[in-house]
Amino acid sequence: MRKTGFLLLILIVAVSLALSACGNASDGGKQSGAGDQASGESGKQEKVKLSILAWNNETEMKPVMDGFMKKYPNISFDFQFAPPVKDYIAKLQTMLLSDSAPDIFIIAAENRNEVIDSGHALDLTDYPFMDVMLDSNKPMLSKNGRTYAFTNNGWVGGWFYNKDLFAKAGITKLPTTWDEFVEVCLKLKEAGITPLYDNMQDLTQIHSSLYGNMTLSKDPNFDEKIFSGEKTFADGWLEVFKLWKKDMIDKKIITPDMIGLTGDQIESEFTLGNVAMFFGGPWSIAKLSATPNLNFSMIPVPGPVPGETYYVGAPGVGFAVNSKTKHKEEALKFIEYLSTQEGLELFYQGTGSIMTAKGFEAKVHPSMQQAYEEGLMKGKIYLPMVSWPRHQEALRNQFVIVTQDMAVGKITPEEAVAAIDKKLKEMENK
Amino acid sequence: MVKFLRYLQYEVFLLPILIIYTLFTIVPLIRSFELSLTDFNGYSTDYHFVGLKNYIKLFSDDAIVSGILFTLTFALCSTALITVMAIPLAILLDQNFFTKHIHRALFFFPSIPSGLLLAFIWGFILSPVASGVFNTILREVFGLGAQPWLSDPLLAKLSTIIVAVWAQTGWHAVLYLAFLQSIPKDYFEAAAIDGASRLQQIRYITLPLLAPAMTVSVMLLLTGGLKVFEIPFALTKGGPGFETHTITQVIVLRGISETQFGLASAMSVVFFLIVLVIACFQVTMMQKREERIQ
Repeated sequence: MRKTGFLLLILIVAVSLALSACGNASDGGKQSGAGDQASGESGKQEKVKLSILAWNNETEMKPVMDGFMKKYPNISFDFQFAPPVKDYIAKLQTMLLSDSAPDIFIIAAENRNEVIDSGHALDLTDYPFMDVMLDSNKPMLSKNGRTYAFTNNGWVGGWFYNKDLFAKAGITKLPTTWDEFVEVCLKLKEAGITPLYDNMQDLTQIHSSLYGNMTLSKDPNFDEKIFSGEKTFADGWLEVFKLWKKDMIDKKIITPDMIGLTGDQIESEFTLGNVAMFFGGPWSIAKLSATPNLNFSMIPVPGPVPGETYYVGAPGVGFAVNSKTKHKEEALKFIEYLSTQEGLELFYQGTGSIMTAKGFEAKVHPSMQQAYEEGLMKGKIYLPMVSWPRHQEALRNQFVIVTQDMAVGKITPEEAVAAIDKKLKEMENK
Repeated sequence: MVKFLRYLQYEVFLLPILIIYTLFTIVPLIRSFELSLTDFNGYSTDYHFVGLKNYIKLFSDDAIVSGILFTLTFALCSTALITVMAIPLAILLDQNFFTKHIHRALFFFPSIPSGLLLAFIWGFILSPVASGVFNTILREVFGLGAQPWLSDPLLAKLSTIIVAVWAQTGWHAVLYLAFLQSIPKDYFEAAAIDGASRLQQIRYITLPLLAPAMTVSVMLLLTGGLKVFEIPFALTKGGPGFETHTITQVIVLRGISETQFGLASAMSVVFFLIVLVIACFQVTMMQKREERIQ
């Protein structure tokens, strides 16, 4: 009898342990719900904890969140961070699928289709605060004319160059044509200076600028035509790849060893003065400015078509409200706050982003003034991931693979474009 | 009845681990198989049954073919190299010398931090630029030019294997050491009296008696090598091209990045079967070898 009792006791302990492990999340929810109720009864307004997932870290988001909490003392935040791009996307995806997604999350070019198509984001089109958003920022975060996320910023990038190294190589005039750009690189090489590092673990930015210059300047809707089947990647990209191979790879300005470099390593090499140019944007300014004795500014990569210089850039990621949120009203209040003058100013203070909201005067670093005026504000920016309507990640991966294969001489530009077209076909028929 | 209850008592102790194992291993495995027959994209729960389409597509995928080749090379080479190095190392560490404890700790150390962390540090050491640690040593000491350690197809493969060997040899040496210490010293003394040299003692006593350790170590290395993700991912991101993509990396790429969860699940199922077959084959073979030796 005693044994049976003992057995029962163990069983109960084991089962309760298992159950408590499984039920943790829901218990927590109930508890906080009860707490809300209690404070709701005692206080005037119900206390709400908004959960946010972003790829800006907490330090960057703190000023704007603090400002919001000051305005709405009853609302506090449960902030979560995941670094861009893959980690963030994977984390959000897991949360959405398991119904544990936060009240507010960000939508990026890379996951906008999946998030919007699956109905996870609230339609924000008709809210008054959306008027503050620039019209040119809307397409990336929209589907069929409805906009699902709010962004108050954009970004533009170009090639930071080290003025001292340029002077050392005897370069007095900045390049304004592709041939001049190649010449500058060769001059630097002759002077024993590595001309540039392009991050080949991502879409290379020279490609994007050249595609803008050589293809989009003639037909701004070229990407749409590729996805409607009217054109192919081969039609739009072959000449770009050929030119890049001829002038960058064959002249050994870009060398296969660069494949092993990460973005961080490239940035460090630039601050150390080991390389004359690298691709960067607003996110690099803090580090570059903090480096003593580094004289730098930014130039675009000019293409062979005169007067059609394209920068790399895109609208900033957008804040979206979870369609299943229990705190819809509060979440919308936060998005609205992001659109106010105060919110815009605090968001700028925290993130240092280039603000592109209507009626807000943006501040940009002097080195990026030209990129801001001639690139971002004139719409001469291109980022494939924003422009491609579907399968961005699959195509981006394929681009990275073929670029690396071309750099090591494994495949020709013709084979590269064929591989990308094949990937698109595969993704369309999946 | 009493006997049954006593039996049940032991079973109850297994219950917690059974629940955890089922929840985190068996259930996901079954779900993966289910999803491999659908067109699930990872976001929408509205997916459809597509039969064996994903399995057919899998074998025409360049990345997976390349992934299988590199993964097999990685698993076999790292297993062979680690085994060949860990056994002599274990014999050395078994000797009675002054700093033996420090040496054991030193060799064991690389297996403590996560593979990802180690690989990131190695990424800086093997950095292809002239200021990379290894390239600086080559230049300053040997007067050689910078080598593209992580960018050349062959060197990148070699680098990942070497880093993996460096990281795991110590751990496996300690495993062998544990078995070595259980071999009675009488055997060696008897052999020495009979005139066996130190090498002969290793050949005819140590190695045969280490057979059970070898079965365990090789199985861990092979299955670990086949499932490898962090080291190649952190070192080369799978590049150049698909050269150092592992199977696990391709599964993540197709599933998460390209939202082809169905296809990625099919890959996982096939991969699971491959690992299962290889592991079963290896264990049976090596157990037979143990029996033969003993």
